[in-house]
Amino acid sequence: MNVIEVNNLTKYYGKSRGIIDVSFDVEEGEIFGFIGPNGAGKSTTIRILLSLIYPTSGSAKIFGKDCINYGPEIKKDIGYLPSEVFYYDNMKVIDLLKYSASFYKKDCSKRIKELSEMMDLDLNKRIDDLSYGNRKKVGILQGLLHEPKLLILDEPTSGLDPLMQQRFFNLLREENKKGVTILFSSHILSEVQKLCNRVAIIKEGRIISLEKISTLRENSYKKVTIEVNSPVKGEYFSIDGVSNLEMKDNTISFLFKGDTNLIVKKIAEISISDVTIEEPSLEEIFMHYYTRG
Amino acid sequence: MNMVLHELKSCRKSTIVWAISIALMTIFFLSLYPSFSSSASLVKKILEGYPEPVRKAFGISIDDVTKFLGFYSYMFSYVVLLGAIQAMNYGISAISKEIKLKTADFLITKPVRRDEVLTSKLFASLISLIITDIIYLVTAFITAESVAKESFNIKLFFMISVTLFFVQVIFMSIGILLSTIMRKIKSTISISLGVVFAFYIIGMLQATLNDKAMKYITPFKYFDAGYIIKNSSYDMTFVIISLFVVVVSILLSYVFFLKRDIYAV
Repeated sequence: MNVIEVNNLTKYYGKSRGIIDVSFDVEEGEIFGFIGPNGAGKSTTIRILLSLIYPTSGSAKIFGKDCINYGPEIKKDIGYLPSEVFYYDNMKVIDLLKYSASFYKKDCSKRIKELSEMMDLDLNKRIDDLSYGNRKKVGILQGLLHEPKLLILDEPTSGLDPLMQQRFFNLLREENKKGVTILFSSHILSEVQKLCNRVAIIKEGRIISLEKISTLRENSYKKVTIEVNSPVKGEYFSIDGVSNLEMKDNTISFLFKGDTNLIVKKIAEISISDVTIEEPSLEEIFMHYYTRG
Repeated sequence: MNMVLHELKSCRKSTIVWAISIALMTIFFLSLYPSFSSSASLVKKILEGYPEPVRKAFGISIDDVTKFLGFYSYMFSYVVLLGAIQAMNYGISAISKEIKLKTADFLITKPVRRDEVLTSKLFASLISLIITDIIYLVTAFITAESVAKESFNIKLFFMISVTLFFVQVIFMSIGILLSTIMRKIKSTISISLGVVFAFYIIGMLQATLNDKAMKYITPFKYFDAGYIIKNSSYDMTFVIISLFVVVVSILLSYVFFLKRDIYAV
């Protein structure tokens, strides 16, 4: 079953582009990564899902229901963590969380206690006395306290220290095990790599790729770095399957996808002093999505 | 209900400050009345020294001002001015506050409909205004009883006094409409002062020029104390206009607020 279905969603802010013809599905129980550089349209998509903004065309469904017409109903089971957290400054953390809980018509006090201990957050502080990272924790608690079935996280890790990030990821994995579906937007690939099953890559408002993390990491891509003894012409390695070709002095590096024999033969024909062939990080694979076009 | 309570809590301080300010001003002004009335002929002479347009602009009528209700309605125009600013503030900040403090994301992503959000804010503002007005009424009445030597018509006194609430509701509605139309309001107070004073000045001009048409433009002239004293009733034309302005503003606010995009930052 699909928890989120996005169909040809387009949003223009006046004349400027938000997103164009975005479509993807998120299946129940998966952690879905939503990746793209700043301004690509991640937040726009998420804000449409939450009916904060309305699409110019296209539609989106959550739990099989149109996210605009059934907004209030589906939001009962959604937890949302915005990329930048802003709350009523003059309130104490606990009062804000209680206010948040009051919208869900169930007792959340036990969950609040559990989560605050796990995230190491002082509930009696005033929100305006909190650091950015601690505000983020308030955001996390606020998004999780009503035990939602779907978590929508918009760049959730910014501001959290590595230890907290770790705890947060563990928390997400635990929730996921309980059956919670997670939409995780980020521009940091390594965190998506750690957590997600599938990923959609968005660039300049369009989805340019939708793949399984495992497929992306399959050995089809090789990162090749060669030290040559005498300079070679740029065209030498411009063959099918080579991307991100870079030449600096005597160092040549590129990504290769295809028959390994082919590239090994190519390398054997020139005089080299060193060669490394390794699996590229996701970052490097994505760079060519980012920069291409 | 939780939203109404939250709103009331968040404007609790401002309600208290407004109520006390208006009450103090009332006590101060009304306590001048005994010396005013005891030297009525002198006061009349001084006022006659002012040019007529000035007197009209400030709503001073020489014959009335030395009688208690006349004096009261003169003072009352300033109470209404303050009250209008307060109401406009509440109206404008209802939505724009959430947008400016970026807490709108929090509220709109909760399982509530947008019209429920707006209704809660409307109710909270109304309750705050009613609290302010009750404090005002009680203070004004007690002070009036203690300073007025002659007896005055209590019914008329209250009829005039509650128009504070009517004018406030009009300004609050206009404020809410503004806050749902404008994408981002940086400073609530500058807009509310601007709008309220603009209407107030139109009111002064209207009084000076005695222009009938201008009366329709400014809510400050919808409930004319002079008319109330003379007729023991409100001018129905303006009651209807007031209702019309309030209903249309609020309906439009709902339409705009339901349709608008809540932008990030």
